[in-house]
Amino acid sequence: MGKGGMSHGGAGEGKDGEEEENMAAWLLGINSLKIQPFKLPPLGPHDVRVRMKAVGICGSDVHYLKTMRCADFIVKEPMVIGHECAGIIEEVGSEVKSLVPGDRVALEPGISCWRCNLCKEGRYNLCPEMKFFATPPVHGSLADQVVHPADLCFKLPDNVSLEEGAMCEPLSVGVHACRRANIGPETNVLVMGAGPIGLVTMLAARAFGAPRIVIVDVDDHRLSVAKDLGANDTVKVSTNVQDVAEEVVQIHEVMGAEVDVTFDCAGFNKTMSTALSATRPGGKVCLVGMGHSEMTVPLTPAAAREVDVIGIFRYKNTWPLCLEFLRSGKIDVNPLITHRFGFSQREVEEAFETSARGGTAIKVMFNL
Amino acid sequence: MSKKDEGENMAAWLLGIKTLKIQPYPLPPLGPHDVRVRVKALGICGSDVHHFKTMRCANFIVKKPMVIGHECAGVIEEVGSGVKSLQVGDRVALEPGISCRQCDLCKSGRYNLCPKMKFFGSPPTNGSLANKVVHPADLCYKLPENVSLEEGAMCEPLSVGVHACRRANISPETRVLIMGAGPIGLITLLAARAFGSPRIVIVDIDDCRLSIAKSLGADETVLVSTNIQDLSKEVELIQNAMGCGVDVSFDCVGLNKTMSTALNATRSGGKVCLIGLAQSETTAPLTPTAAREVDVIGIFRYRNTWPLCLELLRTGKIDVKPLITHRFGFSQKEVEDAFETSAGGGNAIKVMFNL
Repeated sequence: MGKGGMSHGGAGEGKDGEEEENMAAWLLGINSLKIQPFKLPPLGPHDVRVRMKAVGICGSDVHYLKTMRCADFIVKEPMVIGHECAGIIEEVGSEVKSLVPGDRVALEPGISCWRCNLCKEGRYNLCPEMKFFATPPVHGSLADQVVHPADLCFKLPDNVSLEEGAMCEPLSVGVHACRRANIGPETNVLVMGAGPIGLVTMLAARAFGAPRIVIVDVDDHRLSVAKDLGANDTVKVSTNVQDVAEEVVQIHEVMGAEVDVTFDCAGFNKTMSTALSATRPGGKVCLVGMGHSEMTVPLTPAAAREVDVIGIFRYKNTWPLCLEFLRSGKIDVNPLITHRFGFSQREVEEAFETSARGGTAIKVMFNL
Repeated sequence: MSKKDEGENMAAWLLGIKTLKIQPYPLPPLGPHDVRVRVKALGICGSDVHHFKTMRCANFIVKKPMVIGHECAGVIEEVGSGVKSLQVGDRVALEPGISCRQCDLCKSGRYNLCPKMKFFGSPPTNGSLANKVVHPADLCYKLPENVSLEEGAMCEPLSVGVHACRRANISPETRVLIMGAGPIGLITLLAARAFGSPRIVIVDIDDCRLSIAKSLGADETVLVSTNIQDLSKEVELIQNAMGCGVDVSFDCVGLNKTMSTALNATRSGGKVCLIGLAQSETTAPLTPTAAREVDVIGIFRYRNTWPLCLELLRTGKIDVKPLITHRFGFSQKEVEDAFETSAGGGNAIKVMFNL
């Protein structure tokens, strides 16, 4: 069962141990995670084997733990959890030229088919055959090691840590949204929700040049974190749909200008209604958060002002840009990592509990 | 049918709910960049009917008597001192809206969204169902020889379809679904075809409208219901009728059912264009569609569409004549009959005044 039982001192450097059993955190049922052996597939010619060093917990991971499903994805058999990760190359497949053992890499989780029209057009994030870490039935990466295509492993610049490498995944969502929304030096941005996704979106928007960013949330603490991370202004809002009109007024006052683009990183009727009402004619609302499935919102008045609603699903071709932002310091994701745990049964359980609790926990990170 | 060449200018005034009266309409003096146009053809729009029935349309409220009508074409009678591009006798189609030309939206080309827009027949701006109107010369477009005044008036509704096709990027690769085979659905069908769409499926609850759509070139039609329970079944029928993914859907109705159908039926990475402005709050599965990166594009009127519309009419790439189903002259009784006919829907698609 690996080295000395379940315990795995997380902080150590590359464990020698070609014969060690690979262990992973398996989702077995609701609120039931267990570290168990995870047999790796053989290394294909274009694959690499990566020793995991840093893995972050995402809201979707927590959702799977609590409900064994996420939208239409249902966990029908035990599945390894986790997908926001970085590690060190241990072995490369026969055709791999771009990476060597010892390279530190950040992993892009999803393997698309590369053959369908969407893939060939570059919109591979929408590939219907996508195999994505920890989206059932594909195993995730909260494990000692994983096998992954080399082209989805991106070498970290020297000054970018493994934890920052793992943060590329959530950061990619913000970067992809900023691209689709065309954020630039002329776009004043409103962000609905100061959770992890709202915060990476804010960091990304700033990196893309947004001159003014206002962020809203129901939680004062999260708003103060947002302020520390560079929001120009914050507005505390309620969960009450009656307050939309008044909140839109506050948002405009605080922005001091029109809202060109709004990112709804929560995805509820209230946040979407606020977003649609607050955005200027000809502006865009990016729906990033997936709070509610069916929404009741003032769509027509927004459409009659040519406010477009842009959908966001994960990301595409974002790792190189994320790594460059991190390398140059244009984005600093370190403050988002609020809690750290090692890779043991107890710590895995505590980590998920911490993440699920929200509150002061933004990104909970495993160090393996 | 009264032509008052030298007489008082008369117009159809909206005085109250369902109350239209032909009364004098004094014209403003001709500015240097204006022209005076004798109106010859004018179509009735759903929004005109809505103003007629309710004295309002969304946030536009008719607070004082207002001349109705905005889809028009006519003949130039006089040109302002600074007008070089047009002369007396020219037949022109009129773009109804005068934007401020100075705000950021105007200067970036999105003048249809100008907050100071003065639009024929949108209160408080008087419309153009009148003997004559005064209008900026740059909003009057000379008709090609082979394009009639009625076709000129049709440029206005056609512009909505053209603008939508541009925003949605319709091309020889875009398979199109159209919700609603009313006047706007039908011109969107014509515009989409003109933009090269290879396959167009149109849906409606009315068989007669579907057969008109078929005769106007729809590849397939699907009869749908108003019942939201039928949603998934209809999405399947639509996808079968299309034979492959729906790239762009135009919702020319704008109800929960039509919007939900459009969102569900459109392929990942596709677009839904919301043109129809039926209701102010919509309940629709926005999140699953956003999670497939189906974008919702808003459409408000049009911008820079007259030259293209006239070219499409000139070359015959679009034929709008079949849409003109009823004609009336400009008298009190005929104005009343015309509005009743248009409001009645059914086999009335475009009701046209000939003045």
